[in-house]
Amino acid sequence: MLVLQDVSISTDNKEILNNVNLEFGPGVHYIVGPNGAGKSTLAHAIMANPKYNVTGTMKFKDTVLTDLATWERAQLGLFLSFQNPTPIEGMSNFRLIKESLKMDSTKKIMDELNGFKGLAADLGLPSDWDKKELNVQASGGEKKKNELIQLKMLNPDVAILDEPDSGLDVDAINDLIIQLNNFVDTNKTVIIVSHYEKLLKSFNPATVTVVANHTTTQTTDATTVDTILSNGFKDFA
Amino acid sequence: MAYEYPEGFVTPVESDDFEPGLTKETILKLSALKNEPAWLTDFRLNAFDHLQKIKEPNWSTVNYKPIDFQAMRYYSAPKFTNKDDIPQDVLDTFEKLGVPLHERDALLGLAPKVAVDVIMDSVSIATTFQAELAEHGIIFCSISEAVQHHPELVKKYLGSVVSYKDNYFATLNSAVFSDGTFCYIPKGVRCPLELNTYFRINARNTGQFERTLIVADDDSFVSYLEGCTAPAFTENTVHAAIVELVAMTKAEIKYSTVQNWYPGDENGIGGVLNFVTKRGLCKGDYSKISWTQVETGSAVTWKYPSCILRGDNSVGEFYSVAVTKHQQQADTGTKMLHVGKNTRSTIISKGISSGNSINTYRGMVRMGKNAHNSRNYTECDSLMLNNSRALTLPTVMQYNSSSIVEHEASTGKLSEEALYYLQCKGLTEEDAINCLVTGFCKSVFQQLPLEFAAEANKLLSVTLEGAVG
Repeated sequence: MLVLQDVSISTDNKEILNNVNLEFGPGVHYIVGPNGAGKSTLAHAIMANPKYNVTGTMKFKDTVLTDLATWERAQLGLFLSFQNPTPIEGMSNFRLIKESLKMDSTKKIMDELNGFKGLAADLGLPSDWDKKELNVQASGGEKKKNELIQLKMLNPDVAILDEPDSGLDVDAINDLIIQLNNFVDTNKTVIIVSHYEKLLKSFNPATVTVVANHTTTQTTDATTVDTILSNGFKDFA
Repeated sequence: MAYEYPEGFVTPVESDDFEPGLTKETILKLSALKNEPAWLTDFRLNAFDHLQKIKEPNWSTVNYKPIDFQAMRYYSAPKFTNKDDIPQDVLDTFEKLGVPLHERDALLGLAPKVAVDVIMDSVSIATTFQAELAEHGIIFCSISEAVQHHPELVKKYLGSVVSYKDNYFATLNSAVFSDGTFCYIPKGVRCPLELNTYFRINARNTGQFERTLIVADDDSFVSYLEGCTAPAFTENTVHAAIVELVAMTKAEIKYSTVQNWYPGDENGIGGVLNFVTKRGLCKGDYSKISWTQVETGSAVTWKYPSCILRGDNSVGEFYSVAVTKHQQQADTGTKMLHVGKNTRSTIISKGISSGNSINTYRGMVRMGKNAHNSRNYTECDSLMLNNSRALTLPTVMQYNSSSIVEHEASTGKLSEEALYYLQCKGLTEEDAINCLVTGFCKSVFQQLPLEFAAEANKLLSVTLEGAVG
């Protein structure tokens, strides 16, 4: 369970979000809102992106996150899929998995590599995807597929997905939906930041959070999505 | 985190030492001790005479206390009667350093099978797999042994690439060199083993002056690697070496260095002053010489492994990773001198600096007037981890109109964004830094022999420990 209590987020002394109170239990959660309202900021603040100053309390698995570095939060079970994954030259896609999972035995590495190759093949990625440089010379869609492979391999408890559908074609989005359904079936939490109608209609969300007017509103009423898709965000303005 | 240099211990060993000081008598004594032929004694004396006429260079980007050349020793050899009688302390030292003095370990599969020449202070103490190499006609021995057993080869090539008048430290070395490695690969032979020299400084206040000479005859191939370490003394130790390579028609020499001399402490106390002249001559057509270096050690490094591309269609390569931290100073790079037609050279230099260190790439590409249709590609990248300094000083000289020289350079810091991305995926900050730095060096590490690439990665992460903060 991820809980945010009275959280404020600012950057360069500019307030972005205030009075944020949210709870994310098992299941799918949506974060929606107009462009530039601070949806991505919220996702990155949870991961302690050094760009943001955060006050208030965040808790995950009853641990207060305040003093934890980004990697400590990740190792505790939080995961962020990036809207624009950062290119890392000289590092292969599989090396990231290998480093993150701290694989020490050759057998474990071989098993995980086979798992990786299977996932890459299922997503229609080239057969040498494991060796390709991380987010270098990959298309937007390939990068998103790679983020999905990371999610599957690293198997966190909470996955925050920032616009996971951008750059993906219809078939790939269907794959994404299947994978995310499998993921939440194991009692995990998925938090999706998206605008995309197809994605927002594909799950039965546990909560919907609207980010607007420098704050957040969370509801368990799934019909909020339909209201937004037909009326936009003006009701929240 | 405190900086560790695990190789910084001293071995208690009885040694035969010269008194400190450098005179004509020192050279005559050294030459007599080694039972050298007259031509070699003369070679040394000519160098000594020339040394009296020249001055130590003063470099624009390198600072160190003046060296008192009369205060150091020019010869120190661990005492033992023959190579089968090496003192246990010395054996233990190389065991601790992971250098296989016996063929046994490699034959049992405990160590990679490489032929090793081990040099401690002023002398070679062991050379392995000589018999096996001899079956292929390959000569691999200390240069002192080569002078005794293959004088015609040594006489022909010694000083043929680096003249004793080349520069101050080359002149000094030519006068006082005490040992080193000699290697000859006959025509048409592909050397079946990696050849390796390990240099160890152990004695205090003693300069190490070694010489390496490698000759690859027509159509031959050899891959050679040198490694080195030294104790953590509080005063500086001078290391002035010469390496000469000669590649005949269609021969290829791949020369790799992992330089890990004691770098001094965090405040710049102690450390090796590493003044090395390395040069390869691509003498024959279609010959190739490739230098790969990983430089993490030494208080001051000053070296420019170079290629003279004399043969038509010959190829020169230089791949370098130089890491500096604390107060270290590295001034390194290469010279690619294109003489023959259709010659090609590639320079890839990666500098990583942290602390108060200074890391300079100094390079020269010269396209001679007859080097028609030649090409050079140079890429110099610097990564600065904090407030350190990185300099790139390239020189290009073009004397013909059909050659092409390309130079790309970049300077940057570790990307905050990349560090954050990797941490979001569960990598610790230290692992993330390591991944980014090894990624930065990847194109150079790929050039190292397989057995040493992993070691280079490890050395890099040990070196960077605590260097970033």
